[in-house]
Amino acid sequence: MDVIDHLAAVKIGKLSRRAFNRSLLAAGVGVLSTPFMPRRALAQGAQGTFFTWGGYDIPELFVDYQTKHGALPNFAIFGGTEEGLTKMRGGYVVDVAHPCNAGLVRWIDSGLFQPIDTSRLSNWPDVLPELIDIQGNLGEGGRPWLAPFDWGQTSITYRTDIFELEGEESWNMLWDARYGGRLGSLASGGDAWWCGAIKAGVDFKDIATDEAFDKIAAVMREQRPLIRVYTDDTSSLEQALSSGELAAAMTWNSSATLLKSQGVPVEFAKPKEGALTWVCGVMIHKDAPNLDKAYDIIDSLLSVSAGEFMIRDYGYGHSNRKSFEAFDEPTLAALGLSKNPADILGAGHFQIPQTQEWESRMNEVFELIKAGY
Amino acid sequence: MSLAQDDRGQQRAPGWLARRLHRSETLRGWVLLSPTALVMAVGILVPTAILLAMSFWSRQGLDFDTTLTTANYARAASEPIFGAFLLRSFWISGLATVLTVLLCYPMAYFVAFHIHHNKMLWIVLITLPFWTSYLLRVFAWKVILGYEGVVNSGLLSMGLIEEPLAFLLYSQAAVVITLAHAWAAFAILPLYVSLEKIDRSLLEAATDLGDGPVRRFLRITLPLSLPGIVAATFLIFIPTTGDYITPALIGGPDGAMIGNLIQLQFGAVNNWPMGAALSIILMLWIAAVGVAFLIVTRIVKARLA
Repeated sequence: MDVIDHLAAVKIGKLSRRAFNRSLLAAGVGVLSTPFMPRRALAQGAQGTFFTWGGYDIPELFVDYQTKHGALPNFAIFGGTEEGLTKMRGGYVVDVAHPCNAGLVRWIDSGLFQPIDTSRLSNWPDVLPELIDIQGNLGEGGRPWLAPFDWGQTSITYRTDIFELEGEESWNMLWDARYGGRLGSLASGGDAWWCGAIKAGVDFKDIATDEAFDKIAAVMREQRPLIRVYTDDTSSLEQALSSGELAAAMTWNSSATLLKSQGVPVEFAKPKEGALTWVCGVMIHKDAPNLDKAYDIIDSLLSVSAGEFMIRDYGYGHSNRKSFEAFDEPTLAALGLSKNPADILGAGHFQIPQTQEWESRMNEVFELIKAGY
Repeated sequence: MSLAQDDRGQQRAPGWLARRLHRSETLRGWVLLSPTALVMAVGILVPTAILLAMSFWSRQGLDFDTTLTTANYARAASEPIFGAFLLRSFWISGLATVLTVLLCYPMAYFVAFHIHHNKMLWIVLITLPFWTSYLLRVFAWKVILGYEGVVNSGLLSMGLIEEPLAFLLYSQAAVVITLAHAWAAFAILPLYVSLEKIDRSLLEAATDLGDGPVRRFLRITLPLSLPGIVAATFLIFIPTTGDYITPALIGGPDGAMIGNLIQLQFGAVNNWPMGAALSIILMLWIAAVGVAFLIVTRIVKARLA
């Protein structure tokens, strides 16, 4: 029953009708039974899925994974963590997702995730302990829910040749009426609302009070007519900054680092009120279809090669202590980083996890404000 | 003679179903319809029923409170944002619809009346840009209208403006322009079909009886192509009112439409029942506007005839 034999037989006209019919039957049975074969057989060739922001879906972060499996993981992209969580609550299953410290408690409470068995991660011993020990992260048996991966700041990237600084760098820059229509902002309340709180002088400990809501809403309303675009697409903001369409925008470290590397005269502000600081990491879905690959994704993200890329090309902090060894202190300082993340995280405003009610209410109010109400 | 009366013993008598099918034309019709009807029921009726039921629920933390309430509808009626967004959506998509039909009518007219060979090729060429994805077309407009885009750099190099025009992108105008282009194929095809169907002898008769080209167009061509105009208007107005991608990408803060508001309810705001209620309200309003438009065209048609 060799295929080539068959073809040859057809060519010389010797294939009997019975033999031909038998091959047809075999092909038919094969096609019909494929869907009934065990799912596992199909899943073996599949890669793990990483649910994250745009910009993390690049080969540089998955060198180890690629060496091991010969391909990149699959990527699914969200605009903000809240959007991602809503999707997963609606039944979307991934292997690994990428939330931040502010959402951590709510993500755990959703019951959609499993604690991480750190013994399966070869890079775990090098992870900075102060990043693991964030509020609510350690579950039963000391297993963490979130493996910290990147940390950084939300601040203002501005064009040094366009934006005329009045005094010190400050959050007032994004409320500067001189540049009305030339300011941009991240659309996600997870960044913008907290920055609004810093601008309004609200202590993060009180951010859930009604008074704080009113104060922050007032400054966001004041800012709204000045904003040209709210977007979660960082490359839109970067392009607009590089063309001069925007004079200043709320961004993460990476936008400023990327623009600088392209020779655009920008600066990542160190606002006098303090920047917003955050730690993000990865969690494993409780029904992760490719659990082994989920661990490989995480291990790859925690590796030194991924870390050096994150620091050098994106200007983010990384969670692996060894990633910083390739950089000297002045280089790190220029990027707004330090080998000791506590210095940076402590100097800024660190997000505090909030309840689901707070998150929904904040998003509702902020969306209304963005829409003009 | 039915097969059952055949006296050769081996011939099988037709079964019960076959006899029924043979007799009843209605049943045959239903059987023929059933695959489509099934898809419609599973794909449209059931989700709409779920949407309708959900719109009477309310949000409770992460879950739904399934006791029936009209609170969502009351909120949609009382809070100005929802009405304003609905009105803005109708305004933007109405403008886009009018613009599309006005721009596409001459194109369809030209192909229907002045092209005599290879008409199909012309139609294919006209619809060629629409073979690319909708998203790509929207992005293309972002490039054209952008701050350093085609329009702005063109005007700058001609010295007509000194600074790039900021209002071109992230505005309602940008949404109208993009929608008018992105949906053009849906206007050209029905317009072409209705123009193509017009009996040329009527036009000759009008000319013989002394009508000039303008009068002839207004009295013969336009009224007879009205069904195409109505179809094109519906085909564009209904989907663009709820459009979400275009305003999200190029609308900016002031160009957002009701579709974006609905998406937010299912996304960041996490209030699915409110989103469901808004979807139902949108559907009802579109239906109402559609009926009103049909009545108006009936009256116009009666006047013209």
